[in-house]
Amino acid sequence: MRMTAKLLAAAVVAAVAGSTASAESIYAPNLSYRTGPFAATGIPLMNGQKDYIDMLNARDGGIGGVTVDFDECETGYSTEKGVECYEKTKGKAIVTQPWSTGITLQVLPKTNVDEIPILAPGYGFSPMADGKVFKWAFNAPSSYWDGASMILQYIDSQDGLKGKKIAFLHLDHPFGKEPLPFLEKKAAEQGFELVPIPVGLKEMQNQSAQWLQIRRERPDYVVMWGWGAMNAGAITEAVKTKFPMDHFIGVWWSGHDADLDLVGEEGKGYKSISWSFPELDAPVMADIKKYVVDPGNSQSNEKEMQGVFYGRGLVISMILAEGIKAAQDHFGTAAIDATQLRWGLENLDVTEERLAELGMTGMVPPFKTSCSDHTGHSGGWMLEWDGAKFVKVSDLLKPETDAIAALEVEKAKEYADANAPWPMNDDCN
Amino acid sequence: MFYRTAGQFKTSYSADQALFPVRQDAVLLIVILAFAWIIFPLTASEFTFQTLLIPILIYSLAALGLNILTGYAGQLSLGTGAFMGVGAYACYKMVTLMPWMNPIVAILLSGVFSAGIGVVFGIPSLRIKGFYLAIATLAAQFFLVWLFEKWAWLYNYNASGAIQVPNLDMFGVYVAGPQATSFTQYYVVLAIVSLLTWVCINLTRGRPGRTWKATRDMDIAAELIGIDLMRSKLTAFAVSSYIVGVAGALFVFMWRGAAEPNLFDIPLSFRILFIAIIGGLGSVLGNYLGAILIVGLPVVLGIVPEALGLEITSATVEHLNVMIVGGLIIFFLIIEPHGLAQLWRLIREKLIIWPFPH
Repeated sequence: MRMTAKLLAAAVVAAVAGSTASAESIYAPNLSYRTGPFAATGIPLMNGQKDYIDMLNARDGGIGGVTVDFDECETGYSTEKGVECYEKTKGKAIVTQPWSTGITLQVLPKTNVDEIPILAPGYGFSPMADGKVFKWAFNAPSSYWDGASMILQYIDSQDGLKGKKIAFLHLDHPFGKEPLPFLEKKAAEQGFELVPIPVGLKEMQNQSAQWLQIRRERPDYVVMWGWGAMNAGAITEAVKTKFPMDHFIGVWWSGHDADLDLVGEEGKGYKSISWSFPELDAPVMADIKKYVVDPGNSQSNEKEMQGVFYGRGLVISMILAEGIKAAQDHFGTAAIDATQLRWGLENLDVTEERLAELGMTGMVPPFKTSCSDHTGHSGGWMLEWDGAKFVKVSDLLKPETDAIAALEVEKAKEYADANAPWPMNDDCN
Repeated sequence: MFYRTAGQFKTSYSADQALFPVRQDAVLLIVILAFAWIIFPLTASEFTFQTLLIPILIYSLAALGLNILTGYAGQLSLGTGAFMGVGAYACYKMVTLMPWMNPIVAILLSGVFSAGIGVVFGIPSLRIKGFYLAIATLAAQFFLVWLFEKWAWLYNYNASGAIQVPNLDMFGVYVAGPQATSFTQYYVVLAIVSLLTWVCINLTRGRPGRTWKATRDMDIAAELIGIDLMRSKLTAFAVSSYIVGVAGALFVFMWRGAAEPNLFDIPLSFRILFIAIIGGLGSVLGNYLGAILIVGLPVVLGIVPEALGLEITSATVEHLNVMIVGGLIIFFLIIEPHGLAQLWRLIREKLIIWPFPH
């Protein structure tokens, strides 16, 4: 008898829980790439993103009382699959996380029509920062132009920029070309010589021609905008040609632990600018271990979880979660929709105190978005490979927001003109 | 039963040589066209338009273009992706330089540019054959993609190096760009694809098609019976590249919305070659069947586990998908090396004599 009562009670609880879960959940898909040529870099990021949301669901029952239905749609980094995923998920999704520059470029104009926010933390199109033009796009906490600005400042603080020769080794692809307008502008202003060296998609793994050019040009610094197989190719080639590693600086996507593991000690001194850092002692890591790893729900492993990319995945999901929370608080409703999330992402205020509350102090610099600033320009740290892991070697570097903002407005306007009629966000000043 | 030809008497030569000597074929075509023109667009969701209907039509058209060259004229080509790129970039330059231009006219004209480039790269075919020609077209593939990357004028000096389709309207309705609805785009694609398919059927059944086939089957014999090989090969290159170029313009303007140079790289050429081979070389219908298998099937397979409520991660689904599609391709090639079109031909013949096989 008691058994039946217990079972009945359990069934009722389960039914209630089940019905609330289905009625009150927020659908937040991620266009992941765990397969294909870029999978090695994708997997730690995807795992970080997923584990953070899983942790919130397990620890707090989601965000503001509703669970987050975090779903992955596999793209393999292919634009075609990405658009398929976008079409598949956009009906009920409150956000699109496109994850590749190709998919971002394609989805960007559509989001205006479909009214769904794009969240592209640290990638995509730098002028997306101009919220007046790109009403639905967010690339908080830092854009590529921020990254370029911080790298230049770092070089300036080390040896001075004037009269230096800087080789810009980049993937010959929209992603790699992204910082060029900013770098060219700064080269003219600050009097250093910029030598752009493109790496074709087919040459990623064999960069002997590019490194021969670097040896011939004898640049003071090599700045790299690389992704996927290109990073490992460049780093091994740099080691082979005995390029001084401490004069070799990559963007945040070029700071993947696995790429540096290949060269180990010889890669010592290699630097990468980053807006995220894996604080292994942070409370959030303990929570993830307790709520996600220990019950066996994580697809990650211990080594991966100590890497920069896993930590970055956590930060990316934190940005989404904070956006959801901001929207919930403002609209007073738990089950927010896409339009409400847009407001939330536009009014993010991740302060030092808030980071401490989240247990993520030191994992990302504090930042704040607004209607006209969809990036937040958080700044970042220069990380250095010490032979076994990345360590911080600089204080918080801040991008030159004024110079960047002027360029952002200019390029955003060009984009809007080329895509006329383009809806502007006129509520924004 | 379905294909009883009894009672369908032919009383003239023209009736005997008609496109559909068997009435049921005509009925079948009408049914398919009714689905394509009326039923699909009225019932399809945004997802179906964007991932099934529009891409299948565009890929079919590209494969049709390749099939004219490889299947009918016997000239192996690996440069289809690049010729699609020529069409796409030509269309982009036309609509940005002359914004008043009607987008459909621009799309149809963009094929002219790729036809020109196709003829230039087709000239070596007069001297070299088979695999050697394939390598010459491979040169076109590499050269053109390199050109799309390096010639900044082609993408209007855009910092990202990609082309972005602007909003284009026609009589007040947006047909391309982010403001256009899938519904309109589908009809534009369908109209162009139907028109070019009709042209191709007539071309391949008429004099040009016969000279192409003669060239394919034995070029020396063809020359001996008075066929001008140069003309035959170059018209094949021109017509094929024209269709491929239009397909490329549709690919970017009616579907993708944006394109970077490496989109037109060799994987695209191979994909279209696979569609043509699996569909059946030397057939018009085969291109559609091939495109449905190569483009449509992975999409459908991808939504099956979710529809069945199976708990599989999407990465696993993707791995399974690749394996299943790969397996099916091998399966079809083993049971019918001449492609799906031949498979349909055999089924149809069996149906005609059913239930009394000889």
